Amino acid sequence: MSTILEDIETQIAGLKTSTSKSNVGVVRDTGDGVARIEGLSDVMLNEMIEFSSGVVGLALNLEETEVGAIILGDTTRVMEGDEARTTGKLLQVPVGKALLGRVVNTIGEPQDGKGPIKAEASYPLEKIAPGVIKRRSVNQPVQTGIMAIDAMVPIGRGQRELIIGDRGSGKSAIALDTIISQARLNKAGEDGRIPDFRPLYCIYVAIGQKSSNVARALAVLEANGALQYTTIVSAPASDTAANQYLAPFAGAAMGEWFMDNGMDALIVYDDLSKHAVAYRQVSLVLKRPSGREAYPGDVFYLHSRLLERSARVTEEAGGGSVTALPIIETQAGDVSAYIPTNVISITDGQIYLETDLFYQGVRPAISVGLSVSRVGSAAQIKAIKQVAGKIKLDLAQFRELAAFAQFGSDLDAGTKARLDRGQRIVELFKQTQYGPIPVEEQVAVLWAMQNGYLDSVPVEKIKAFQLKLQDYLRTRKESILNTIVTKKALDKDLEKELAAALDEFKSTNPV
Amino acid sequence: MKINKETRQLSKALLRASFTDGQLDRGRISALVTSLIEKKPRNYVRVLDAYKRLVRLEVEKRSATIESASELTPDVRAEVLANLRRKYGIDLATQFVVNPELLGGMRIRVGSDVWDSSVRNRLARLQQQL
Repeated sequence: MSTILEDIETQIAGLKTSTSKSNVGVVRDTGDGVARIEGLSDVMLNEMIEFSSGVVGLALNLEETEVGAIILGDTTRVMEGDEARTTGKLLQVPVGKALLGRVVNTIGEPQDGKGPIKAEASYPLEKIAPGVIKRRSVNQPVQTGIMAIDAMVPIGRGQRELIIGDRGSGKSAIALDTIISQARLNKAGEDGRIPDFRPLYCIYVAIGQKSSNVARALAVLEANGALQYTTIVSAPASDTAANQYLAPFAGAAMGEWFMDNGMDALIVYDDLSKHAVAYRQVSLVLKRPSGREAYPGDVFYLHSRLLERSARVTEEAGGGSVTALPIIETQAGDVSAYIPTNVISITDGQIYLETDLFYQGVRPAISVGLSVSRVGSAAQIKAIKQVAGKIKLDLAQFRELAAFAQFGSDLDAGTKARLDRGQRIVELFKQTQYGPIPVEEQVAVLWAMQNGYLDSVPVEKIKAFQLKLQDYLRTRKESILNTIVTKKALDKDLEKELAAALDEFKSTNPV
Repeated sequence: MKINKETRQLSKALLRASFTDGQLDRGRISALVTSLIEKKPRNYVRVLDAYKRLVRLEVEKRSATIESASELTPDVRAEVLANLRRKYGIDLATQFVVNPELLGGMRIRVGSDVWDSSVRNRLARLQQQL
């Protein structure tokens, strides 16, 4: 107790002689979460300002005679005539491993009732992205556990892969599946089952979503044991536009801490369409000039500076990475709208989800033709490359032939074989939600398909056959799966073992 | 109040014309206002409003408010005034205010700059640190 008193006395003694200098202004008007302040002659752009009621704001518009600031917190406590003072600080959020397993708001305050967060450090929300010298090429995979993605549109650590599609087409489901897959891999890595494994921590940023959706995502992650590796940054629809606008930047700051400390992070921005809408609202209320679709002129820079912060950096710079999975919601499949085209051009590829496919039962409803990954194939493990190299081409040919086959019944043997193969691939790529498939099982299944083991199985029974095969490999042939994990490639011996295992499986499970 | 570009430009031109040797000139300001009222250009009432605001901001930049918890002695006042004029120039307008809420010490505001050595401020900082 005496040391506490001494502490206070020292601090009081220190204060006795000190005079603090600050820069102040007066709130002239406030409304819609924005305050216009006269004075504040020394304020910096993006500087935190403090109102006399203790509420914090962010200076966004520095004009000749006044400053436009967004209010973060209870807007009703800021009134006309209130004093506002500069703080000399940029807006910061707590970062570090203490945030894993927690739900926080835009400024890092806990929202889950699990008590205060003892963060190791704070990072500014706005930070310049790593430069060219600090970066290195993407060469490590993010295993999403979704076979269609891992085989055809692979994602690498440090990549920015857009997930785009209409409402209800399964965009968030893909992101959540990826997070669940990472959690399973992290657990396997911790148990020492994967050699040279680097854990991938996840940050799920919910922007402008219904609170019930965020609660559902939280429940799914918790039920699948993924929450302990995940931070949820929540800026739901009921939050102010300012908080929704800043939420992805808070997520990026949290991810950067992992990158700077030699770890890998995955950030899901769900979704950037609503983020652009929130930014448009903030800009219009700040009376910034509006452009196309009333978005401000810097809406492209808004997303480019956010997504540029995803990178894989060199060993000298920490050796970590930040992977981004931004989500964009299209209206009636229109990818040529303003925000979708912006984000498509910024990212390193996109996973395009089609509503038609979704309702045909092809789930995840990934459109093979429109989905692309610009850097991911460098990050695929060799085994996947060996079995999935031609799948995209096979599927593209299947789609073309399927369109022609509708008009006639007489098909030559080659065409028929291609159609059969295509139908089987489509069936294989159907996958249940929250059920990521480990990469070694993907390799085994795709190898079986490439080598004709599925040709004798009727199309409608493919899925059941696949599930049984996976189960058989997991329970009876674990050694083969383990060898795929350790070798990361298929050699002659492994192929022989796989062939023997498949023959045995087919003999015991006749179709 | 939203003002148009023309009004804003005219009010700024009026402000620029209100200075003599870098200091606001009361005579020039009243002459400018009288002339504007006589000529009645377009939106002149709005121009006058905008001009008044700019002049007020300019005056605030050159005026100091010295708050203290109790009445200051003439010696202290003179010392404070001399120090402020040395820093901001002799045209600085000053106003002494007694504000018991400060609890002790002094708070000086010149334009946007505030020097605060009041007990209230120290307590607030102490509260933040704890």
